[in-house]
Amino acid sequence: MNPPSPWQNRAIDFATLAARWLLGALFIHTGLEKALDPVAFLKLVRQYDLVQTPLLLNSIAAGLPWFEAFCGALLLLGIAVRGTALTLTALLIPFTALVWHRALVLQAAKAIPFCAVKFDCGCGTGEVFICGKLLENFGLILLCLWLLSGRGRGCAIRYTLTSDSSASLRCDTDAS
Amino acid sequence: MRLCRPPVNTDPPRIGTVLSRTSTVASVLLEAALVVLAAAVFALAANELSPRGLKLARNYFPAGSNQSAPLPKPKPLRPPPAVAATNAAPAADETDQRLKGKGLQPIHRAEAERLFHDPRYPQGLLVFVDARDEDHFHEGHIPGAYELDPYYPEKQLGNVFPPCQAADQVIIYCNGGDCDDADSAAILLRDSGVAANKLFVYGGGYTEWTDNHLPVERGERNSGDITGQSK
Repeated sequence: MNPPSPWQNRAIDFATLAARWLLGALFIHTGLEKALDPVAFLKLVRQYDLVQTPLLLNSIAAGLPWFEAFCGALLLLGIAVRGTALTLTALLIPFTALVWHRALVLQAAKAIPFCAVKFDCGCGTGEVFICGKLLENFGLILLCLWLLSGRGRGCAIRYTLTSDSSASLRCDTDAS
Repeated sequence: MRLCRPPVNTDPPRIGTVLSRTSTVASVLLEAALVVLAAAVFALAANELSPRGLKLARNYFPAGSNQSAPLPKPKPLRPPPAVAATNAAPAADETDQRLKGKGLQPIHRAEAERLFHDPRYPQGLLVFVDARDEDHFHEGHIPGAYELDPYYPEKQLGNVFPPCQAADQVIIYCNGGDCDDADSAAILLRDSGVAANKLFVYGGGYTEWTDNHLPVERGERNSGDITGQSK
C-alpha cells in the first residue's frame, strides 16, 4: 500500500482539525446548556437511578456540565487534545450505554418500537428520538477516537502537556 | 544469482518502537488524568461561583418520612364533592399514594378551588404556595400565591415562612402530574417549623388549575394582572 500523498496528509489533518473544533464547540454548547439550569439536569440525572446519595447525585449534576464545557474549551483551544479526547471517550461510552438502557426501559413500559422512544436524556438537547441520539453518540465516540491518532496539530496552544509538542498556533495544516 | 540483495526485514518491531508506543500511551493516559483533575476542580469552582449552582450536601429530594413521628390528626377538610372524585385524573391515586408515603396530605382540585374562594384566603388564614421556578411563577400562578422554589429556598423562605406559620392551612402546588417539587417545598416548610397538619399538597397542580380555566395571576404576587374566571 502506498503511503498517503502530501495532499492526502493535508486533507486528513484538516479534517482532524475540523473534527476537533466541532467536538469542542458541541461540548461547550451542551455543557453550558445544562450548567445554566442545573436543577433541570439534576432531575434528569435522578431519573437514571444511578446513585442514591444526595452528595453524589448533586456532584454529578453540578459538576458534569462544567466538566463537559471545560473539555470542549480544551479541544477548541488545542490543549491536551489526546488526553481530552480520551477523557470524553471514557465519559461517552458509559453514558451512551445508560441512555440505551433507559430507552429499553421506556420502550418496555410504553410498548412502542425502539426508535419511537423519545425522551430528554440529559444531553443538553431536550427531548430526542433514541435512535438518532445513539447514532449521534456513536459518531461522537468515533470522532474522539480519531483525535487520539494525534493528527491535525495546527491551531493548538499546547497539543500535548506531557512532552515537547510539535503543535503550532499556525492554522495551516503543515503545522503537524 | 543476486549476491547483494538486501535482506528482507521480517523481525518483529524493534524494542525502541515498542517502547516509544508504550511511552505515547502512557503520556496520553497521564494527560487524561491531568485533564480530569483540572476539569473537576474547574467544575466544582464554577458550580460554587454560579448563582444557580447546587449545594452539594443538600438533599433536594427529601423522601419525607413514614418513619418519622406520626402526623398530628389533620384539621378536617370538607370532603370533596362526589363529582370531583369521579372526574379525578387516573393518576390522582398514584399522586395521593406518593404524598402519603412522604407523610404529606393531598387535596384535589375541587377542594383547592373551594379554599381559593374561602373568605379566610384574603385574611391570610389560608395560604397558597407555588413551588415552581421563578420563570414559571411569573408566567402565571394562582392569584395571591407565594413563590417558594424548593431548589433555591434561601431566596424566598424568609418571606413565605411567617404567613405559613400564621395561616390555618397552607396549600402547596407545582405543575402537577409527575412533578414532586410541591412535595419538596412542603417538606421544607415542615422541616422549617410549619405544623405538618396545616400543610396540604395540591397534586393536580397548576396544569389542572389552568385546564379548568381557574383564575391566574401574571408577574409578581398580587400584581393584579389576573385572567380567567372561576366556574
